[in-house]
Amino acid sequence: MSVALLKKAVVTDLDEVAARYPDVPRLIILKTDVQRRGVFYADAALGLLNETLHQTTGTHIFGARDGKTAVRPESLLLRDGTSVITTPTPLEDDPYVVDVLEGEAWLFDNGVPVEPVDYWPAPAYYSKNSRSGVPMKNIVSARPQRLNIFPYRYCTFWNNAKGCAFCDIVVQLKKGRDVLKVPAKLDPVEVGEVIGEALKEQGRFSTIFLTSGSITTGERPFDDEVDYFIALLKEVGKNFRTHKYPSQMIGTAFEKEQLKRLYAETGLTSYTSDIEVLDEGLFNRYCPGKTEWIGYKEWKRRLVDAVDIFGYGRVNTGLVAGIELAGPHGFQSEDLALERTLSEAEDLARQGVSTVFIVWSPRPDTPLGKYKNASLDYYIRLARGLHALRVKYRLPIDHDSYRNCGNHPDTDLSRVLPLWEEGR
Amino acid sequence: MINPLQTQMAELLAKPGTIASIATLNESGAPHSVPAPFLCLDESGRVVHLELLETSTTHRNLLGSIWFERPVSITLSGQNGEVLVLSARPCKALVSGPLFCTYYREVRSILGDADLAAVWLLEALQIRDETYLTCKAQEEALHPFYSHLDRLVIRK
Repeated sequence: MSVALLKKAVVTDLDEVAARYPDVPRLIILKTDVQRRGVFYADAALGLLNETLHQTTGTHIFGARDGKTAVRPESLLLRDGTSVITTPTPLEDDPYVVDVLEGEAWLFDNGVPVEPVDYWPAPAYYSKNSRSGVPMKNIVSARPQRLNIFPYRYCTFWNNAKGCAFCDIVVQLKKGRDVLKVPAKLDPVEVGEVIGEALKEQGRFSTIFLTSGSITTGERPFDDEVDYFIALLKEVGKNFRTHKYPSQMIGTAFEKEQLKRLYAETGLTSYTSDIEVLDEGLFNRYCPGKTEWIGYKEWKRRLVDAVDIFGYGRVNTGLVAGIELAGPHGFQSEDLALERTLSEAEDLARQGVSTVFIVWSPRPDTPLGKYKNASLDYYIRLARGLHALRVKYRLPIDHDSYRNCGNHPDTDLSRVLPLWEEGR
Repeated sequence: MINPLQTQMAELLAKPGTIASIATLNESGAPHSVPAPFLCLDESGRVVHLELLETSTTHRNLLGSIWFERPVSITLSGQNGEVLVLSARPCKALVSGPLFCTYYREVRSILGDADLAAVWLLEALQIRDETYLTCKAQEEALHPFYSHLDRLVIRK
C-alpha cells in the first residue's frame, strides 16, 4: 500500500477554509496549504519522475524543509496553470503526500486524493553543459515560464552573523558547492550564453529573473551588487533585439542613483526589494543585516523612490509571511498580525508599491526553523487583503504574476485584476 | 457505444470550413462569445482551445470557469448548415511543457509574430444538434401547435 493511503480520511482545513471564502478559488487555497505544509513524495511518485522530462531539485538558492539534497521533483503545476512552489518535508510534519493514482501524480491529504498535479517540465537546455563544463541548469534554472539567475549564492549580511533569521542561503551555498558543484558566483558572460541557449526553445520562457544575496561592499554601500547586476543584465540583454525585456530583479533596497543606473544601463523592467516583514520591531529583530545597513523606514522610502524610475505597478516588495507570528516575539494573534501587515502594505500601495508574500517555509538550519508557520485561514486572509489593495490602488502586478513568478497566492488571485489601462 | 454526435463533432472540427466560437461567462454572469479558430480535439477526445492573449476576456473567463465551475459553450457551424452546440467544462490550462510549445510553434507558423497564453483543454459534457433543418423537423413532429397555420393552407 502506498504511503498516501496509510492514513484515515479526516476533515481538512482546506474544506473549511474553502467554505469560509467562496470568493477564493479552491485551487489557490490548495496551493497555499501545500506551500504551508510542504509535500512528501511517495516512492511511486518518485517513480514517475524522469530527469529528462522533469525538473528536479537542487538548483535553488534556498534549501528543502527536510534538509536533504536528493533528486525530487522541483515543484508542481495545478490544472489552472498555477505553480506550487514547495519543498520536500518530513512525513511526521504532516505534509501533503504526492502519490500515484491511475498512473498520474496526485496530491493526497490524509489518504484522500485531492488534485492531480504535473511535475515541472524540464527545459531543453537542462541537458547541456556550459563552456566551463558546468551543467547549464546550475547556472540558470527554470520555472514553468521563467529563467532564474541566482548569480551570487552568498549574502554579506552573514559576515558579521546578521543574516535574516529565516534564511538558509549560506548553508545551501555550502551544500550546493560541495554536493551539486553549483558555482558560488557566476560569470556574467557565461550566464548570457546559457540564457541564449535556453531561448532557443520557442514558447518556453516569458521572463528573466535575478536574485542574489546582498553585497554590501563598494564605493557606496551595495555599489558592488549594483555593478554585478548591471554586468549580468547587459550580458543577458545581448540576446534580445530590444533594449528592454520582461525581467524582474530582487535586490537590496538601493539608493535612487543606483536604481537609475540599473534602469538606464540595462533591460530591467521591474524592481523588487524584499522587506520580509511589515513591522519595524520584527524587521529589526529578524533582519539585522538589513537593519544595520539600511533600516526599516529607509527601506520603505527607497521602494517608493523606485516607482519614479521603474513605473507604477512595476515595483514591489515581498514578505516571508508567517514569521510575524513566530515565537515569543511575534504578534500574539493572527488578527493583530494581519491588521499591522495590511496597514503597512496599504501605506506602500498608496505610493505605488505592491506587496506580495510567500508562505514561510521553516527551514531546519535557520534560527526560526523550530517554529510553525501560520494557519491556512491567515494566509488566505492575507492573500485577499493584498489583492484587495491592488484593486483599490489600481496596481498591476504583471511582473510578479503566476506566469512570471508563481510563488505568491495573492498574485494568483490578481490574475483577474481589472484591466484599467484597457478600460475594462 | 459511440455517440454519433461525438463522431459528428470530430468530423466538423476536422473540416477546414467549419466556423467555431466559444462563449464564456464573467463573474457577473454576462456572456462573452468570440471566434475560436484553432479549436481541435486531442487524442483523449478533449476539445483544445488556444488562447493567444493573457488579458483576453475569454482567457480570464475560462480561468473563472475552472476556478468556480462556470459553464462554457462552444458552437460549431459547418459549411452545409450543420450546427453543433457543446456544453463544456475546462479541465486544464497548459502554460508550459512540450505540448504547449508545440501549439506555440503552430500558432506562430500560421499567424507570424503571435503569442500563446494557454492551451485550454475542455471536456464536452453535452453535445446538441442545433442544425436548423433537424430542429425544425423535430419541432414539427413533437410540438405541432407552434406552427403558423398559413403553412398548412391548401395552395391554389
